[in-house]
Amino acid sequence: MTREGEVHGIPADPSAAISVRGLTKTFGNFTAVDGIDLDVPRGQVFGFLGPNGSGKTTTIRILTGTSAPRSGQALVLGEDVVAHPERVRPRIGYMSQKFALFEDLTVDENLRFYAGVYALDPAVFAARRRYILEMADLQGRERELTRNLSVGWRQRLALGAATIHEPDLLFLDEPTSGVDPVARRQFWDLLYELAGRGVTLFVTTHYMEEASHCHRLAFIYRGRIVAEGSPNEIRANLSTQRVYDVTVRDADLALGWLETADGIAEAYLSGAALHAVIDRGVDRGAGALRERLVAAGFADAVVVSVEPTIEDVFVNLVSRERGQTDGSSDRVS
Amino acid sequence: MSLTRIRLLVWKEFLQLRRDPLLLRLLLLMPIIQLVGFGYVVSVDVRNLPTAVVDLDQTVVSRQLESSFTASGYFLVVARPDAETQLTSLLDTGVAKVALVIPQGTQDLLARGQTAPVGIVVDGSDSQIASVGSGYAAQAIARFNASRTAAFTGSLQAPGIDARTRVVFNPTLDPINTMIPGLVAAILMISLMSIMSQAVVRERESGTLEQMFVTPIRPSEYLIGKVAPYALLAVAQLSVVAAIGMLWFKVPFNGSVWVVFVGLALFLLISVGLGLLVSLISRTRQQAQQALVFIMIPTMVLSGFIFPIESMPEAIQPLTYAVPLRYALTVLRGSFVKGSGFEALATPLWAMVGFAIVIFGAAVIATRRRIAE
Repeated sequence: MTREGEVHGIPADPSAAISVRGLTKTFGNFTAVDGIDLDVPRGQVFGFLGPNGSGKTTTIRILTGTSAPRSGQALVLGEDVVAHPERVRPRIGYMSQKFALFEDLTVDENLRFYAGVYALDPAVFAARRRYILEMADLQGRERELTRNLSVGWRQRLALGAATIHEPDLLFLDEPTSGVDPVARRQFWDLLYELAGRGVTLFVTTHYMEEASHCHRLAFIYRGRIVAEGSPNEIRANLSTQRVYDVTVRDADLALGWLETADGIAEAYLSGAALHAVIDRGVDRGAGALRERLVAAGFADAVVVSVEPTIEDVFVNLVSRERGQTDGSSDRVS
Repeated sequence: MSLTRIRLLVWKEFLQLRRDPLLLRLLLLMPIIQLVGFGYVVSVDVRNLPTAVVDLDQTVVSRQLESSFTASGYFLVVARPDAETQLTSLLDTGVAKVALVIPQGTQDLLARGQTAPVGIVVDGSDSQIASVGSGYAAQAIARFNASRTAAFTGSLQAPGIDARTRVVFNPTLDPINTMIPGLVAAILMISLMSIMSQAVVRERESGTLEQMFVTPIRPSEYLIGKVAPYALLAVAQLSVVAAIGMLWFKVPFNGSVWVVFVGLALFLLISVGLGLLVSLISRTRQQAQQALVFIMIPTMVLSGFIFPIESMPEAIQPLTYAVPLRYALTVLRGSFVKGSGFEALATPLWAMVGFAIVIFGAAVIATRRRIAE
C-alpha cells in the first residue's frame, strides 16, 4: 500500500500525531508539494518553516482533509485523512492567520457557534467558555462584536474558538503574522500551555525567532523538505561554517562587497547588521575579515563571531537548494 | 447530514442579517420602490397620450369626433394647430405623440352619406405607444361611427360592421396587469441574486469559510444553511410585492394560488442557486458584482420582461430559452391574467425544474472545488 512509504524505508506511523509518506500535490504543471515525508510525534510543538509559496499551506490543507493530494499517504492521529476526513475533523483544530471569527457576531456568539458545530454538551460548553474567556482575557466583553476587538484579543479568541472542542492536534497557519511582538510572546505562552496539556501543535511561521520555540522543525522549500530535526540539530547543519555579524554604517555597499568577495560563502542582511558565512576551511577569524573590510574602504566595520541562528541555517539551506536545482540536474539526495 | 448543524448555520446567518440593518431595509424597501416606480411609470404612459388636433372643418361633427377621442381618457389634447404643417414640429419635439387631422368638408361629406377620411398620425419612435395609440384611435372612430348610425336610425343596434378590436384576457389593455406579475419575478431575482452573490464570497474573504470546512460541517449542510434564511426572506418580500400589486394597483388575480406558488418557489430556487454559483466562482466581492451585471442585463432584455419575445429577431429568439426568467414570466402572467392551470403551464414549469437541478448541482460541485483549492 505504501508505495511511496518506502522512501524513508519506514512505513507511516499510526501512533504519531502526523505521519506522512511521499505526499505530492500538483496544481496543473506546478508541483506545490513534492513527495514529502514527515513524522510529528504526539505532544510536540512542531515548526513547519518555509518562505511564502513553498507549500506550507497546501500541506496543512491536505492534513486537515480539505484538499486531496495527488499521491502519497497521510495519517493524522492514526486515521487516513484523505479517505476519512470526517474521522479526523472532530479531533483537530485549525487556526489561520486570518483569525477566522465572524466579525459581525459577538464573542459569545462565536463561541456558541463553534461549540454547536462540535456538538459540545451544555455543561462542557459552559466550562470551556469560562476557560476561554479567562485565557483570552475577555471576561465582561462577551457581548462585544469581535470586529471591535483589537488584534491581540481577536487572536486569542480565535485560538479559543479553534480549541473549544479540546482537539488532540492543532494546526496553526502563520498564527502570529501581523501581531505585535508583545502579543506574539503572550500567544506563544498560550501555545506552550496547550502543549503542556498534551496537545500536538503543528505551526507554520516565517518568523525565524519563533522556530526556536519549537521541539522539532522541518524546512520546506519549493515543495520539498530540505531539513528536519530539533533546533540544535538544524543549527548543526552549519557546523562546517562560521557566521560573522558585521556592523557597518553603509550596510548596502558592504553587502555588495561581501557578496562578491573571495571566500565568503554567503552574505545577507540580518536585522540592522549583515551576516557573512565563511567555510571553516578558509576561515581566518573575525580580525582577518575586519581587516579586509577596512582595506575595501569600510573603516567603521565591526565584526563579531556569532552562533548561527535558525535564520542563518535557513538562508544557507535555501541557497544550497537553489544551487542544486538551478545549477545542475544531478541532485544530491 | 446533521439537522443540528444546519440549524446552527441558519441561526448564525440570521444573526448576521440582523446586524446589517441596511441590508434588511434594502431587502424589504427595494421591492416596494421598484414596484411603485414601475407601476406608475407604466400606467401613466399609456393613458393621456399627448394629442394634437388639427380641426380644419370647425363644425359640430368635427367637434363630436374630437370629443369621442378625449372621452376615452387615452388622449389628452395638448395643442390645436391651425395647419397640418405645424404638426411636424409638435411631433418632433415630442409635445404630441398622436395627431388627429379633420379635413375641411368632413361634415358635408358625411351629410351626403359619403365616407369622410380623417388623418391619424402616430409617433412611431416608441413602438408601444404607436401600437396602443393607433388601436385606441381606431376604437374612438368606431365609437363615433356607431353613435352616428344610432342617431340616424334611432336604434342602438347599429347596422354595418363593428371593426373594434377585442383585446382578450386584458380587456382594458392595462399593461400594469401583465407588468406586476412580471415584476414579482424580476424583483425576486434581482434582490436574491445580489444578496446571495455576496454571501459566500464574503466568508471566503474573511477566512471563515476555510475555518468552517476544517470542522465537521459538510458542504451540503453549509449550502442549506446559506440558502434557507434567504429563501425565507424572499417569501416575505414576495408577499409584500404581491399584496401591493393586488391591493394598490388592483391587479386582478384569475389563476390558482398553487400554480403561482409552485412557479415562484422554483424560480426562487433558481435565483438563489445562480447567486450562490456567482459567489462560489468569484474570488472577490467586486468580481461577484461584475458577474451579476453580466447575468442580469441579458436576462432583463431576453426574458420578455421588457420587450416581447415575439418582436425579437428570429435569430435571437432561441437564446431566450436559456433565460430562466422567461419561464417564470410565462407561468406568472399566464396564471395571473389568463388563469392558466398546471396542464397549460407544464412546459415552463418543467423547464424551471431542469434549471434548478442543473444550477444546484453546479453549486454543490463548485463548493467542493472551492474548499479543495
